[in-house]
Amino acid sequence: MALLSVMLLLFKGNQSSQALKFQCTDGKVMLKSIASLEVIQARSHKLRGVIDSENQSFAWTVEIRSFEGFNSPLQREHFNENYMESDKFTKASFTGKIIEKVDFSIPGAQSVRAKGKLTIHGIEQERIIKTQVENKGGKIMINCKFTVPVADHDIAIPKIVNQKIAEEIQVTIDADLTPQ
Amino acid sequence: MNYLYTIIGLLFVVSLPAQVPVVQLQYTQDLGDIRFTTVFQDSHGWIWLGSQDGVYRYDGQEYMPVKSPEKIASSPVSALFELNGKLWVGYQNGAMAYLSHVSSDIPLPSGDFSEDLRKAPRLTLWEPEEGLPQKPIKGIVEDKQGALWIGTYGEGLYVWKGNRMYQFSQEDDGLASDDIYALTTDGFGRIWVATDGGISICSMPEQGKKIVQNLTTADGLPDEIITALTNDNQGNIWVGTNDKGVFRYNTEQGLLDVATLNWAYSPVTDIKVFGNNEVWIGTEKSGALCFDALTKEVTPMPTGHNFAATKIRAMCKDREGLLWLVAERGKLYTSKVRFTRVNTPFTNIQAICQDLNGRFWVGAQEGLFFQKAGVFVPVLSRKENIVSLWVSPLDGVIWAGSLGNGVFLVQPEGKVLRHLPERETRANGSVLSISGNKERVWLATLGGVTVLNAVSLLPEKGHAAQELGFNYVYKVLTDSRGRVWFGTDGKGLVVYENGAVHAYTEANGITLRTIYSISEDRLGNIWFSTDRDGLFRFNGKEFKRYTTASHLHSMAISSIAVDGNNQVIVGYEDGFDIVTQDREDHVNFYSLKNFVPQVEVNLNAMFTDASGNVWMGAAFGLVRAAAYQENIIDDPIPSITGVSVFQQPIDFLQKTNFAYDQNFFLFNFIGLWYSDPEAVRYRYRLEGFDPEWKISKDHLASYPKLPPGNYTFRVQTSEHGNFSNVPEATWSFRIQMPFWLHWWFFVLVAMLAGAIMLWFIRSRETRLNREAQLKREKVESQFETLKSQINPHFLFNSFNTLITIIEENPKMAVEYVEHLSDFYRSIMVYRERDFIQVSEEMELVRSFDFLLKKRFEDGFHLVDRVNGQTGKVMPLSLQMLVENAVKHNIISRTKPLTVEIYTENGHIVVRNNIQRKIKPEASTHFGLNSLINRYKLLGERPVIVVDNDAFFTVKIPILTIDG
Repeated sequence: MALLSVMLLLFKGNQSSQALKFQCTDGKVMLKSIASLEVIQARSHKLRGVIDSENQSFAWTVEIRSFEGFNSPLQREHFNENYMESDKFTKASFTGKIIEKVDFSIPGAQSVRAKGKLTIHGIEQERIIKTQVENKGGKIMINCKFTVPVADHDIAIPKIVNQKIAEEIQVTIDADLTPQ
Repeated sequence: MNYLYTIIGLLFVVSLPAQVPVVQLQYTQDLGDIRFTTVFQDSHGWIWLGSQDGVYRYDGQEYMPVKSPEKIASSPVSALFELNGKLWVGYQNGAMAYLSHVSSDIPLPSGDFSEDLRKAPRLTLWEPEEGLPQKPIKGIVEDKQGALWIGTYGEGLYVWKGNRMYQFSQEDDGLASDDIYALTTDGFGRIWVATDGGISICSMPEQGKKIVQNLTTADGLPDEIITALTNDNQGNIWVGTNDKGVFRYNTEQGLLDVATLNWAYSPVTDIKVFGNNEVWIGTEKSGALCFDALTKEVTPMPTGHNFAATKIRAMCKDREGLLWLVAERGKLYTSKVRFTRVNTPFTNIQAICQDLNGRFWVGAQEGLFFQKAGVFVPVLSRKENIVSLWVSPLDGVIWAGSLGNGVFLVQPEGKVLRHLPERETRANGSVLSISGNKERVWLATLGGVTVLNAVSLLPEKGHAAQELGFNYVYKVLTDSRGRVWFGTDGKGLVVYENGAVHAYTEANGITLRTIYSISEDRLGNIWFSTDRDGLFRFNGKEFKRYTTASHLHSMAISSIAVDGNNQVIVGYEDGFDIVTQDREDHVNFYSLKNFVPQVEVNLNAMFTDASGNVWMGAAFGLVRAAAYQENIIDDPIPSITGVSVFQQPIDFLQKTNFAYDQNFFLFNFIGLWYSDPEAVRYRYRLEGFDPEWKISKDHLASYPKLPPGNYTFRVQTSEHGNFSNVPEATWSFRIQMPFWLHWWFFVLVAMLAGAIMLWFIRSRETRLNREAQLKREKVESQFETLKSQINPHFLFNSFNTLITIIEENPKMAVEYVEHLSDFYRSIMVYRERDFIQVSEEMELVRSFDFLLKKRFEDGFHLVDRVNGQTGKVMPLSLQMLVENAVKHNIISRTKPLTVEIYTENGHIVVRNNIQRKIKPEASTHFGLNSLINRYKLLGERPVIVVDNDAFFTVKIPILTIDG
């Protein structure tokens, strides 16, 4: 709910201010689990997000069911049904503020740290995520890599599949935001 | 001693004038353009210095550089910390780097600084997944769970816990401000954060759970901007502010309990607390200051250096009790603040005491002085020679005993209340020592002991002690149990207890005569010094004696006192010993000759103050030996810094086992002692090799050609050359025996020798057997050959042939008989030999051929293709084969038998075409088998027999042996 209202607020603000907000509806999220017996990859192209350059805040969200790939349809089903409980916790999100003062209007790349609440599987964790931000022709391109320990988000993985699913999932984000 | 009433005196402490302590300030070696920014001591005792270009490790004499990571080489170091043996370095630009092993990753200085700088190792850049701050790192500390806390100026507080970085900010987490100056920890494991907006007390009891509590001006802080924090040994927090000086926050009671008054100096940059009451403060523009928590006095550090108007960037209190200061322009200083001196305008100090207000009173030959507004002022108009001082617990009146003119009673503000000359006290006018309680005052004089009523000041009569009949009494002491002790001249140690007097005139076989000084320690033991028999401790039952053999500096002891740490200070003309009871009476001598013109302790010119510090008289001043009541080391602590084998440094923390030829060892060690690095002496011994300790000044010991064995290298350090009960570092290792000295090798060799012998015996047996068989075969063969040659059949045939040719051709017959005879002669000659030349054998075969030709005419052909073949064969072997061919085949003119003899691949081959007789000749097959066997027994190449339908072929190896 908190996320929704933040999003609403951000979208609402869009109309009144010019080019202070950047939006994205087709960001890429890639998950990678490297376990001793199996490597699993999944991706989604439906990462949605906003960055408000005025107050350095951001909000990102992705639907769990939008992840594709995996090594088999059954695996994807397990991902949704058993581990992520996608019907109950439909989305993952990350909302917060950028620690550094960033001027998005300056062309070129810079490294910033996003501090916020990462919510996955209904469990909220405070995280700082180091992100590359690049202004290219007015568009903002962001790129980051971080790890999510499954235990941090109460995602229970049975002992039997321990060797097939990593304890830490590597996440890569790649998104282009356009000014609103 | 007098500490009892001085403790009571604390309760009455009010504002006091400044005493002006002088500390020794040493400027450490200049490193040219390098400016230090911060100073830190690691758990091994090394001093680390942050600078504009990386860090330096300082051993007291030399600097060892460690460069910053290349990426951040241009940023100055702003914070240093050690966690689990890892040195953490924080930078002005927010980056952080580390050194994995603070103890072992850095080599020792080579002596050539520019060379060391060129080869300097680098710190490793820290690259957590979350990225690094972008603002200056102002402080790094560790909490009780081992999490690393990082304070930044501008980005708030970070904590690295469970491989995850969290941030505490003003906006999100309620931190007092994001601009942090300093961090410290309290006894509860919480992190205290000094910020621009007050103090934040933070903790993270579990992963991600942030707790922040703020203290601001609303909570009674005198200033909003908090610039410095430190914890003391009681778990309280000392807080430095921008405008309002320093205060102490009592964490037990949750309140501010001590503060500086009327702060007139610049903002505080750093604070270090020594003991419970001595607080050293670094400031932005006012240099270093000393704050006394008891008197609330702040005094600038007078040093001779122009410190008063400079910036102190950082301070560090090391384990020796040295105060390190990084001053303006990055210069580094150290100060042994434990030993301070207060200058006096007079000399020859004979008595010291502190009144109930904490002011010092000094008795000298020139009179009585007391401290007023920071200077010593004379009390008595006349120059009385004051030799003893005592403060009455009854009214705080100062009793001053003179030499020859009785006692003066002086009120604390300096007014003389009363003079008790000789005639009034009826005592001798030379009062050498005064002691007592609220009822009685005891005077020790050159004419015995006098007891006065503390109120009426009249002499009490009938006291046993007064009637002793001894004259000179140097010292009187009322102890904690109400006993009164007297140091007499000639009559030993005398005690007055329960109305009776007892004299101790003998201790451990030493006759006690003259006792100069008496003191009671915190355990109730009585310590006393003698004129020439050293120092004694008496526990009520037994005496323990201390002499130069137990490392006392001298036997000429002028005074003793016990400090707050229960250490006994023993004064001499040229310095003092500190006897540490907690370290089995380890003795260290201090001359302080670099610091004080002359430490010249007069008879009983020693005093223990309310904080347990001992003051002693010196030429033109008082010297204080502080007892901080915390862990301060008195000796260098040795550590082994490196081990080399054949000049190659090894990882000696891991490797302790060496091969027999890795036996040239070099040990590097150091006893860090920043108080006086050059005074450090080493005593080392390689157990298992050295029978005795070796004493040296060098930092290394070498052992070439160590035999195999188990060794322990032990090294001890001392500043004063007294190696009894000093710290030690050890390293054990083992040099393996070479493999040929191991028991298993002996067993192996024995087994191998056994096996070889067995093999030799076996093979010899085989050889002998074979030789015997060969001999037998040979004999049998000779016999068979002979038998066959005198076979009647052969003779019969030969004679028949002869008959036919005798008539036809008598000449030929003669030739035939000659050949026959030749043939037999050859057989006779050759059969005895083991081998004959191929040519000899062929001659025999040709003779045989002649005989056969005459008999069979065209039915027999011998094709001789052996030409000049060298080598040997067994005698009669070819002849036997030819004979066999004749014996087993049909020979006729229509079916001629052709025997070919030729050489092939080192064999001599005898081949004939096969036309078997229908009725085979009776045969034992002895000839051929015997030949095969004999060659086999020789171990030679075998005889090859090929019997196909067309040809019968035998290949005999040609031997190349001699004889």
